[in-house]
Amino acid sequence: MWAWRAAGAAAAACALLNACGGGDGSGGTPPPPTGLSARALAGQALFFDKTLSASGQQSCGTCHVPARAFTADPATDHGLPVPLGGRSMDLPGFRNTPSLLYTRFTPAFFLDDDTPTGGFFRDGRASSLAVQAEQPFVSEFEMANQDAAEVSARLQASSATLQLFVAAFGTAVLSDPEATLAAIGSALAAFETEDPRFAPFSSKFDAWLDGQVALSSSEQNGLALFNNPGKGNCTACHPSVSQGYSSHPLFTDFTYDNIGVPRNWSIPANLPDPKSPVSGVPLDYLPAPLNVPADAEYAYYDLGLCGPFAPPANDPNPRPDLSHSSWLCGQFKVPTLRNVAITAPYFHNGALPTLHKLVQFYVTRDINNNTGNNPYAVPAGPGGNPYQAVGTFFLAAEGTPDLYQYNDLPVLWDGNVNVGETPYTLPTFAGGNAPTLTAAEIDDLVAFLCTLTDGFDPQNPGSYNVPAQCAPGAE
Amino acid sequence: MNASVCHPAARLARTAALLVAAVAVIAGGPPTRAAEPSLADLQRQLAQLAASVQQLSEENRALREHQAQVDRQLAQLGAPATGAPAAPGAAAAAQAAVAANASALPAAAATAAPSSAGTPVSSSLGSLGGLRLWGYGELYYTHPVDEPAQTRMDLARAVFGIGYQFSDRTEFNSEYEVEHAVSSADDVGEFEVEQFYVDQRVSDAVTVRAGLFLMPFGFLNEHHEPTNFYGVQRNFVETLIIPSTWREGGFNLHGDTAGGFGWNVGVTTGFDLSKWDFQPEFPPYRTALELEDSDIAPLQASHQELALANARHLSQYVALSYYGVPGLTIGGAVSSGKAVAAGPGDPRVTLWEGHVRWTPGPFDFTALYARGTISDLAATNELFPGSPNPIPSSFYGYYLQGAWQAWEHGDYRLAPFARFERYNLGASWAGSSGPDIPTGLVPMSATPGDFGYWPKYQDRVWTVGANFYITPHVVLKADYQWFDENSNFKRYDLGLGLAF
Repeated sequence: MWAWRAAGAAAAACALLNACGGGDGSGGTPPPPTGLSARALAGQALFFDKTLSASGQQSCGTCHVPARAFTADPATDHGLPVPLGGRSMDLPGFRNTPSLLYTRFTPAFFLDDDTPTGGFFRDGRASSLAVQAEQPFVSEFEMANQDAAEVSARLQASSATLQLFVAAFGTAVLSDPEATLAAIGSALAAFETEDPRFAPFSSKFDAWLDGQVALSSSEQNGLALFNNPGKGNCTACHPSVSQGYSSHPLFTDFTYDNIGVPRNWSIPANLPDPKSPVSGVPLDYLPAPLNVPADAEYAYYDLGLCGPFAPPANDPNPRPDLSHSSWLCGQFKVPTLRNVAITAPYFHNGALPTLHKLVQFYVTRDINNNTGNNPYAVPAGPGGNPYQAVGTFFLAAEGTPDLYQYNDLPVLWDGNVNVGETPYTLPTFAGGNAPTLTAAEIDDLVAFLCTLTDGFDPQNPGSYNVPAQCAPGAE
Repeated sequence: MNASVCHPAARLARTAALLVAAVAVIAGGPPTRAAEPSLADLQRQLAQLAASVQQLSEENRALREHQAQVDRQLAQLGAPATGAPAAPGAAAAAQAAVAANASALPAAAATAAPSSAGTPVSSSLGSLGGLRLWGYGELYYTHPVDEPAQTRMDLARAVFGIGYQFSDRTEFNSEYEVEHAVSSADDVGEFEVEQFYVDQRVSDAVTVRAGLFLMPFGFLNEHHEPTNFYGVQRNFVETLIIPSTWREGGFNLHGDTAGGFGWNVGVTTGFDLSKWDFQPEFPPYRTALELEDSDIAPLQASHQELALANARHLSQYVALSYYGVPGLTIGGAVSSGKAVAAGPGDPRVTLWEGHVRWTPGPFDFTALYARGTISDLAATNELFPGSPNPIPSSFYGYYLQGAWQAWEHGDYRLAPFARFERYNLGASWAGSSGPDIPTGLVPMSATPGDFGYWPKYQDRVWTVGANFYITPHVVLKADYQWFDENSNFKRYDLGLGLAF
């Protein structure tokens, strides 16, 4: 009898630890473990249940695709950097879908010595996983339920999901739609917290930290550049060491930054005449401008922390109102760099399509200022600006260089852009500026970033699914 | 904190000076060729001699009264000065005073140099039924010559001490400190408990101490009152290599032998390397003042100060000193123990030091060497390539200092000094080729446009200055420092210090 119990205990421990089999090196998702609680199992079902959306075609997993580190696949979004949703699946969103991997380590929003830190969504306006998970259900351009009652009705019509939901929460909660939605949120949060697929820590970098594999010289040099405060200085916001939220490095300190990313004209809301690229309907759900001066160059700006999206009304621990904190305009949360090689496009607005271009942006943002007034110019000529040909990343809608540097911000908030830290700018001195990274160093840094993709098996390194942009020679 | 022997020491100093003067007078001042003295000369010399003898006798009476009081106190306290075998001369003075030996006078003269007021003069305040109070504090003004924007004035520390004599065998001492005037979550200051221990005199030869106590390393660590050292700021070697004020929790046994040896052996908490900052984004210091306050040096960064200290591994130390020859103190100490690791590996931290102090006549020469090593760091540093601050495997420092009691008048005393010191916070590295420090201009802070150079982690420093004692307890200081490597650290400082 005890032998059975021992075996059962071992199997349960094995499943919980997910240490015995189950993991694969193909870059796909391993089969779900069996050690999830009832709430988490309900959450798993809710996560993939498309019938809970008004269109019947969208679940959490539609935009948070497991194979893409739980970010969106642009191919399913009409090639847009933002997801399509709504009742007819034709309404574009505003921001690049963030990855759900490792989000469970995010702290609730707080001000650390006046430094905003933590919170869910790219502007930290939801205080927990559960609160964040509820919002897409009732968002007009996402799962498009009118209210909690419609969500509850759809849940009760989805028998398999309902069965798991009732197993976790009972039936009494179904009589109150708000409580039902809150329970849905907590189930999804339990799923994201308990399921080890959301925090595998199985990248090549993790294997190297454990001493199981050696990094190539390019990757090693890339890590050194990542850490060096005079070179990449990436670790200043994307720490390559644990900050205490997890024993593993998360490559984010959950603070916010305004790095003056270029305006992404592929986002329909950014166009002068915002409408759906699928059906042509106007986007009447655009939020009213907040902190955008009347004489701004463009009509719509996403200003992040000081921007127009308010904390959810039912948040038990709401983020303070930051709409008057104008120095925070343009700040978005530092995302994790884990799996960054497979989560293109990059930044809150998906403005940069590849890692190589992203690092180039960091290096050339202020050097290649094309507006005719550049305090950081590198003098031309031999040994001058090696990135002259790269040009500026700040383009107008027509694709030509924009008149405005930092064109995704009203000129009024240009002063909020982080210009003081490496690698953006260096002091002007006799002879002008110099870029912080050479082209070879950019390649090495990208090579290091490619080691942060989960799914590496030290016993079988050849099976590592190398993303296309990480292949040698990729640009 | 040591026995209150300052007053008698000061008096001994004056006595010594007078004695020397009297002898000089008798000998006819500077040596001259033998000449036939006239009667008037002889009478004048006799009168001077009588006056000197009169003064000496008065001093002697006062001294003897005080000596008796000190004897009583020492008997009660069980010679606590012996807990500090590395003490420059205060221990010597205590022993010498107890011995009431004329040969102790040069040693007393040594203590009349900075340490004269360094020990609590509780007797002057009166003991309220066993309770004792003492304290010290210092202010400074520091002006980096090449970076005037970094000029600072600061109440460096305000310290008070509370002690209680439970019996003639058992004694409690504690010291509390406020640094930088204002201590709160939002201010730069700190409030800390620097000492908190009980001494139990088990015999005349041995005392046991338990609690939070100062480590008997170097000169400054145990005698860091501003009246006890030359220069406005503490020297770099005894701030960066020996992390003054270095205190640990644990217990020790200490005592003195008749031959003039002091010994101290103990078991204490150790260091915690897991707090190491491998990735400072900005240079951790930009002036010499910030270097001292930055806690960037290896043992500054990892000492635990008995604040929820990790005690899985304990350290042991031995300290010995010899002060049997008047005017000379020789001492050394070594501490070793495993540290909380910052990564894979099992690092052991060892610090050893040796020091000498010699006080011939009005001069005061000191020399000190200290060296620390940390083992088994290769695997840890390898996890942080590109770091501007890997953990060094060895670091060291030494200094040579000379001071001169140039002028004295009543309580006023002027003592100019000069010091050369060398420190190297990274003599060797394992698992790293050294700090990956940007060589060009880098942002020094998050403020846009604030650029500078990353400082070097080793230097040679020249200091000249003077201590001007208003009384043995209050001192005005001034000095000027030049730096070989971080030459923009050049500065002059003014300071005010007091101890009671």
